[in-house]
Amino acid sequence: MRHLTSSGGAAKAPRADAAHGARTLASQERRFALFLLAPALLVLIVTTTIPLIYLAWNSVHRIDLGMPWLSGFAGLENYVQMSGDPRFWNSLWLTLIYTSSTVVLQVVIGLSLALLVLQIPKGQGVLRVATILPIVLAPVVVGLFWRTLVLAPDFGLVDLVTRSLGLGSYSWLGDPQLALISVIAIHTWQWTPFAFLVLLATLATLPPDVYEAARLDRANAWQRFVHITLPLIRPAIVMVVILRMMTALSAFAAIFAATGGGPGSATEILNLYAYRTSFSELNLGYGASLAMVLMGITLAISYLMFRMRKAR
Amino acid sequence: MNKSRIRSLALWLLAGLLLLVWAFPVLWALMTSFKSERDVLAYPPTFFFTPTLDNYRAVIFGASSILHNLWSSMVLSSWTTLLTMLFAVPAAYALARLHYPGKRSSGFYVLATQMLPPMGLIIPYYLVLQKIGGLDTYSGLTAIYLSFSLPFAIWLMVSYFEDIPYEMEEAALLDRAGRVRTLWYVILPQVRGGIAVTTIFVFLNAWNEFLFAVVLGGNHVRPVTVAMFNFISVEQTQWARLAAGAMLAMAPVILIGLAAQRHIVKGLTVGAVKGGGRR
Repeated sequence: MRHLTSSGGAAKAPRADAAHGARTLASQERRFALFLLAPALLVLIVTTTIPLIYLAWNSVHRIDLGMPWLSGFAGLENYVQMSGDPRFWNSLWLTLIYTSSTVVLQVVIGLSLALLVLQIPKGQGVLRVATILPIVLAPVVVGLFWRTLVLAPDFGLVDLVTRSLGLGSYSWLGDPQLALISVIAIHTWQWTPFAFLVLLATLATLPPDVYEAARLDRANAWQRFVHITLPLIRPAIVMVVILRMMTALSAFAAIFAATGGGPGSATEILNLYAYRTSFSELNLGYGASLAMVLMGITLAISYLMFRMRKAR
Repeated sequence: MNKSRIRSLALWLLAGLLLLVWAFPVLWALMTSFKSERDVLAYPPTFFFTPTLDNYRAVIFGASSILHNLWSSMVLSSWTTLLTMLFAVPAAYALARLHYPGKRSSGFYVLATQMLPPMGLIIPYYLVLQKIGGLDTYSGLTAIYLSFSLPFAIWLMVSYFEDIPYEMEEAALLDRAGRVRTLWYVILPQVRGGIAVTTIFVFLNAWNEFLFAVVLGGNHVRPVTVAMFNFISVEQTQWARLAAGAMLAMAPVILIGLAAQRHIVKGLTVGAVKGGGRR
């Protein structure tokens, strides 16, 4: 309230001395900024920063809700356990495969589709509507749709296609290797439209005269793409890659709904492992240390992103 | 001539394929929601069937009613959206327009919080809410939903505030309108569109949230996303009912998504478009 009255008063006061007035204006602006910003920053500190500190604290403790009498300070015990835990290394490996393959697939498919759709003179609106559907759906619902209607043996859409092609029926979510491919396909299905829409919007803004010049220079389609289009849309691609990596790293609900991390631990990326450890096996201390690794990876990628943005 | 006809035919085929891959699973789910259980398990899957409303009756009035869950989602998403906008709009204005020490680092901080994976926060939330009796309460979950909706909303609003010409507020300030009144009467009307889009996105994200809801919710606070998940464990093969429930659960976001489709790209790239200049 003090800010309100003081700022109002300052604005109404007659300007005696120009330099003095500028100074009060600046300090008035500072106070006003603080007044506007402080509530939001306070909420963010309480809901993100403090919980993260608490997470780090938990990760050096034994917290097992199944055996509460064992709780206590554990030092680096959880991290030492992690280094010798094959399930952890498996989940880390799966996270790497999951993140890299989904991001590459999304960018490659999204960019190819955007380049092709750009050639279609009419009907882009219909396509945009169709591709927006997956993005607005809750990932958990997408996972359930795929688990039942799309990937279920015999009755699912994919089996319908493979059977009619004479390739036979498969247990898409029951076989370890197929399950991993399936969850990658689910994520790619849901988020490729994002890459497609962003890149389509970027391509549409490119100046046509550059292409004209290149065409006069007898550059073929591939040369035009590599030497003109690609450099021009590089920033957009970088942005898509970063955002898609973040989404892939926090992917949870779709896999959880489709396979629950299984069969066994075939689709258990780090998120799933941390969840299962914490809320199925109730070992929150170890779960916290797994979550810390996830935070570390995210932090590293964010850092890279800030570096790249500076370079741009 | 002939070559270009082949070309355009190929393009149309491709467009059709696109529609098929992305829209068909959703349309298929919509169709399934009108099938009887017998038609669902017909082999090969059938496109011609007598539509029935039984599944919708079951998920609205029956034992597996999701009305309570729709209400839960509605309360949770509305509170989250309201509080988020109350905090985000002023903060975004400060970040976009005002000069103050620590501006860069505060913007950085907000951006960094947007990157946090929810799995990193869920364990502390669970332990704290359990201690203070906040599990399965709307207030507890709303507070936690702010952790992801607030940074997002701030950055989206910043991009809208930046589009306003500086001259407008300078003129208002020279007229000695005062900062609060300038913001309220001059600036905010200019970003009405941005506020609408941001509101839609915050609501959509809150509606679709799953991890926090499944861990921190319970019998009292159980949004539709969690209800859908429970559906499949309780009613294993009742796909038609699952589809009907999912259609009801997703109807709000599908409608919102279609209405706001032009703004979707901007909303999805928030934060990343910032910093490197506008786009």
